Amino acid sequence: MTYLWQVALHSAVMGSILYAWTRQVRLPSGRTKRHLLALLLVLPMVTAAIPGRGRVEFAEGTAILNSARILAVPLPGSLHLVDAFVLLAILAVAFTMWQELLPALRRPKADGTDVPGFLEAMVHGRPGWAQCVVRVSPLASVLVVTSGRPGRPQLIVSRGALDSLTAPEWEAVVAHEHAHWCDGRWWHTHALFAVRLVQCYNPVALWAFREYCNEVEIACDAVAARGRDPHLLGRVLLKFYHSTDRRDVAARGALRKRVDVLLAGGPQDHALPPLTMLAASTVLLGLLPWIV
Amino acid sequence: MDRLKGLRTFLLITGVVALGLRLLHTALPVAFPETRQGPIRVERLEDVRRLAGFTPLIPGYRPATLGTGPVSMQVWLSPSPTFEVVWQQGDQYLSVTQRGGGQKPAHPPLAAALGGVPGSTWWMEGSRHHVLLERGEFWVEIETSLPEGELRRFADTLAPA
Repeated sequence: MTYLWQVALHSAVMGSILYAWTRQVRLPSGRTKRHLLALLLVLPMVTAAIPGRGRVEFAEGTAILNSARILAVPLPGSLHLVDAFVLLAILAVAFTMWQELLPALRRPKADGTDVPGFLEAMVHGRPGWAQCVVRVSPLASVLVVTSGRPGRPQLIVSRGALDSLTAPEWEAVVAHEHAHWCDGRWWHTHALFAVRLVQCYNPVALWAFREYCNEVEIACDAVAARGRDPHLLGRVLLKFYHSTDRRDVAARGALRKRVDVLLAGGPQDHALPPLTMLAASTVLLGLLPWIV
Repeated sequence: MDRLKGLRTFLLITGVVALGLRLLHTALPVAFPETRQGPIRVERLEDVRRLAGFTPLIPGYRPATLGTGPVSMQVWLSPSPTFEVVWQQGDQYLSVTQRGGGQKPAHPPLAAALGGVPGSTWWMEGSRHHVLLERGEFWVEIETSLPEGELRRFADTLAPA
């Protein structure tokens, strides 16, 4: 229990520092941002595991902050701040269930019948996608996703997408989905998804992983737009945007941002030099263990 | 300098956050004394009940050589609620430490039961006598410079204050 709290605490401190920093230097979308978000998910699990920090002498005498003091702050009705944090953690777990589990249960069945020949040929023509299975979901909304595992990928397209996207638009969409399986993106995303599931109680990890996924989408957009007019993919994203439920503010916001980045020239992969990233990571690795 | 672009801003922000956390660490016990994990000096036994959540066990027998009142009373809230009270006059002293729960406190391997005192572990360190007592959910350690016979009387008269 103490370890879980320490992970959340380090995550919150690191998240605050990185958020203020990226705002201050106006960090654009790109590889640097992805690396920082991945670091935010992984580093707290390392620094919280450093032994010897649990002793009261260290927490009270040496540490920069003893969070036990924060947790012990009294609230009305004989409650303490720790109770509010427990409630927040329960809400985060409930949100994880709602975000990950319910959509999986509600997802309509997709089957391999009525797949247009041009789409199958386009998909199987992609490197490493000769075995990719294309399935059609009866949904009327515009939906294109990939699932499966390496060696056995699946592309699921909705009836709505088949009706509304043109052949050149399909080229861009398939290129985008294929990009998810290239350059280790599938592995990185799934490894971080596992880290995020371990931290299902941690709202900062929840936010960081969501931001990471948005950044991966932006990276895949850049791959799909390579050698094409970016406005083509921009139009496709607008079709997705209009097809998304108005109440899904987060998904619509992410799509808007993708269009903005795409039309502004795409992500910038080297916004900060590697030496800066290394120095920042080292400073955080040295600082966080002193926060207990 | 371009190889370290953005680092100065990062260090500045990190420094401000670290300072803010330190300020929080220092200011919280001033605003909410109960948030300090210990040692917390207390003046009255009622404060021990309020802070540690238990009634302190105090020896009813205290010889006049120890003086009239305790010279210090301290409470720790972490890792287990603990109360320590000390009487001292000149070279003579008596210390009683009561801890709620947890494992049996460390004691020398040759420590033995104190005759006639149930649940006790007794040992000597130079001229100082120690006895460790298991009393319900508490561990009570009595340490004194007084003779062994006095130690037994302290243990026998231990009762809620």
